[in-house]
Amino acid sequence: MSRTNIIALLIFGAILGYFLTFGPTTTQKFKTGVYQLLAPFFTGGSGLKKQLTSVRSGLKSLDQLEHENANLQVENRELRATNQGLRDAENEVNRLRHALNYRERSVFKLIAAEIVARDSSTWWRTVTINRGRRDGIEIDMPVATDEGLIGKITTVSDSISVVLLISDENCRVAAKVEGSREQGIVSGERVTTGLTPLLNLNFLSKQADLKPGQKVYTSGVGGVFPSGLLIGSVKTFRVRELDGQAQVTPVVDLSHLEDVFVVTGRK
Amino acid sequence: MIFFFVLLLLVLIAQIAEFFIPALPWLYNAHVYIVPVIVFYGAMALPFPLMLSLALFAGVLLDALTVQVIGGKVEISAGSSILIYGVLAGLMHGLRPLFARGRWEVHCVLSGVFTSLIVLAQYLMITFRRGSFVFNREVWWQVAGPGLVAMAMAPIVFWFLQWIGRVTAYSYQPERGRIE
Repeated sequence: MSRTNIIALLIFGAILGYFLTFGPTTTQKFKTGVYQLLAPFFTGGSGLKKQLTSVRSGLKSLDQLEHENANLQVENRELRATNQGLRDAENEVNRLRHALNYRERSVFKLIAAEIVARDSSTWWRTVTINRGRRDGIEIDMPVATDEGLIGKITTVSDSISVVLLISDENCRVAAKVEGSREQGIVSGERVTTGLTPLLNLNFLSKQADLKPGQKVYTSGVGGVFPSGLLIGSVKTFRVRELDGQAQVTPVVDLSHLEDVFVVTGRK
Repeated sequence: MIFFFVLLLLVLIAQIAEFFIPALPWLYNAHVYIVPVIVFYGAMALPFPLMLSLALFAGVLLDALTVQVIGGKVEISAGSSILIYGVLAGLMHGLRPLFARGRWEVHCVLSGVFTSLIVLAQYLMITFRRGSFVFNREVWWQVAGPGLVAMAMAPIVFWFLQWIGRVTAYSYQPERGRIE
């Protein structure tokens, strides 16, 4: 091995050693710093993706129109495309109006945010939102939609934040079951292959006898999640050796998130 | 040297692009990883010191963007991805003479295998931290899926990078005790 290679290997080892000494605080700072640097790429990438999706859906409808109406004039196609654009705008207005209504009638103080990126790794379920420290976001703040809870904040940079979804095994939420005195801890599964992941509600009593469809809410125990946020509904219940466990279907479709709210407290 | 910086830039772009590429529902929600394929190409095309630099850069990015700090605990230590990339890229670098002779097939297959090894290593680390050793069919597919996708992507990515190498007038000849 040449001298250059040995020096390169030593430098590599030294840098590696430096990183391996990072504790949780340093790691968090390092992660926040990198997210801060890459924030413009995430927000820019999100906009680009939207444009590409819009163009693709436009081309699809154009293909269909060509197939079905071969004799239509070019002007007619343009009008249809414009109409489609207006419908998209109308849908977006309706969606935002719906979100705004929720914010006004909610008992929680909420900060509206948009998903700019989804998880890129196999073993962690996260999304990135376009709100950060500048907007008053802090670590451990719950994140919800108008339907229910979706997760909590784990990393905050100035302009973007990372949300750990409730479908992740590490996101544990103290929960209670509607119509019973049962309380437990909801967490995701380590490996999910379906588009709609199921959650586990653990540490229930063996006599719980929960019925499918019973709603599961945050209990407020632990202080991270305020009580009363809907998590999902019971799918199945089974008795284990030491406790009872329910499988819960999340109320929010986690694979199609667009607009979310960060819960900053109660009104 | 220009080619090396192009590879660095491509690693950065690919790492960010991975956030916008949806998982493949028909392959057990396997994720698409482009960065390892670029890094492993760099491992074959670049001299040893630059190969280590590329592995270091990719590892730092992967650590920063995927490692989660939850409740004051880190599941995978910062630096672990650097180590994994360094070792695997080093192994790939050993096959450089074969690559220099224009034989790519082994490297394409190994790019897939090594991508799966990265995912497997992450899984083993989180399993060690979280406890309860789970190894069912789904886990294996989540590990194998990204590797299969990487293997399928490798020839196209390699061809593209080879083209960039030509455009930047990069020489693929193994170094003789010098960087460039």
